[in-house]
Amino acid sequence: MNDTEQRIKEALGLLAERTPHPGPTLNALKRKRKRQRNNVFLIATAGMAAVVVLIFAGVVASNRYAPPNPNDAAAALVQGDGKGVPFKYAPHWLPDGFVESLRATNMAPTRVWGPAGATPYSNPSVVIRAHGEMPDVRGWDPARVRGLEAWVQVRGDAASVVWKAQDVLDVSVNGVADAREVALRVAESVRADAKITHTPPFELEGRYAELVRGTAPDSWHSSLAWNAVSVQVATAKPELPAPNEPVTVRGKQGVRNGNTVAVQDGGLWISATASAWSDELVELVNKVEIVDRPDTGWIGKGI
Amino acid sequence: MTPSFDDFVAEQVTPLLRYATVLTCDPHLAQDVVQEVLLRAQQKWDRIGSVDLPHAYVKRMVTNEYLSWRRRRAAKDVALCMTTLESVTPPVADKTHHYDEREAMLQRIAKLPRKQRAAVVLRYYENYDDSEIAQMLGCAEGTVRSHISRALATLRMEHTLEPAGVGSRLGEGLS
Repeated sequence: MNDTEQRIKEALGLLAERTPHPGPTLNALKRKRKRQRNNVFLIATAGMAAVVVLIFAGVVASNRYAPPNPNDAAAALVQGDGKGVPFKYAPHWLPDGFVESLRATNMAPTRVWGPAGATPYSNPSVVIRAHGEMPDVRGWDPARVRGLEAWVQVRGDAASVVWKAQDVLDVSVNGVADAREVALRVAESVRADAKITHTPPFELEGRYAELVRGTAPDSWHSSLAWNAVSVQVATAKPELPAPNEPVTVRGKQGVRNGNTVAVQDGGLWISATASAWSDELVELVNKVEIVDRPDTGWIGKGI
Repeated sequence: MTPSFDDFVAEQVTPLLRYATVLTCDPHLAQDVVQEVLLRAQQKWDRIGSVDLPHAYVKRMVTNEYLSWRRRRAAKDVALCMTTLESVTPPVADKTHHYDEREAMLQRIAKLPRKQRAAVVLRYYENYDDSEIAQMLGCAEGTVRSHISRALATLRMEHTLEPAGVGSRLGEGLS
């Protein structure tokens, strides 16, 4: 073997040492396989539904049958109740033991992870946001994320990475050692995924809960800012120190406590609070619609 | 007995990623290629799992996936990006001249045409002979010899033309 061949062997050996950890690949594979199974099931279900519709249309209702609205058919292929808010991006690496604790859609779509049972945004945490436009990164350090230009800012045990993929993405980590390294590693693992959607737990006159946080699928709190009123739906009773006044809301007996009204309905607590009492609080709680299948399975789950 | 797909993945994902990393010179592309291949392998695992050497079959799928990669970044061969590589797995500290020479050689290998690069990897990393490489690449043995000969000529020439000390500067300005 000559000198060039020896150098080639050594160079390839060096490259092999940089093989990525299999974790992200295995996670991505697991997700894709799951999605594939779901797709097969959905296609089969949609196919059976189509056959039933065709038989019904052709045999039973021949002249009187009106074809279904195409949107209804499409809705049948959407997971949950079809009210999913797209998140579009997902990380494939997070520090060990981190689970998801918050999803917000009020401004920039945001997801937060941290240790199981921790309050969202407390230390340590990882936050991923998709922005509409690039924030001011003057004074930030230049970096690279998947070959794309990026900027990093480190402040003590916190670091943020911003880069422009299809959208402007922002990964922030707080309360971790080697914050810069962790933030960049999370950012490198982020992949576009159009199928990641989130169905908020409730709706109020066409607007959906903007923020959902919790520690487990059956222990969560969601809210919507409705003008000056905060409308909330939660699995736990809100803190209402005595005295409480009885009030009829949603056809049940609820309570009024200062500027808050709350009622338990279907196992969930629905409440509205404002800086001053008004009958509008009761009206708003009356109008809250709980979605059929709220998407809370992500709460307390890792990647 | 046919191994289960999950057992196969657990055992082979790291060797496949290593091979794909060396083949593509890009850890991210390697992850994508391996993911894609394993997903397809899973769909026809009944057949693949029953062949004599399933890992060799899947390795060939990785090679083909790389050679026919439809999502080439910027529609051209991807030159090795040291920043990208080091962000995934930082290199072991080694500031010797020898290390620089290996880095410089990596840069040159990354610029080779895909088939030449694949032939070089199979010969000098996997230690395959001409017939095995031909089988893997789906071409004649003469073509394999031609690929390797041209690749060596390129690598040797660039090495000769390279000014002294260039290796230490190769990481600079690359993205």
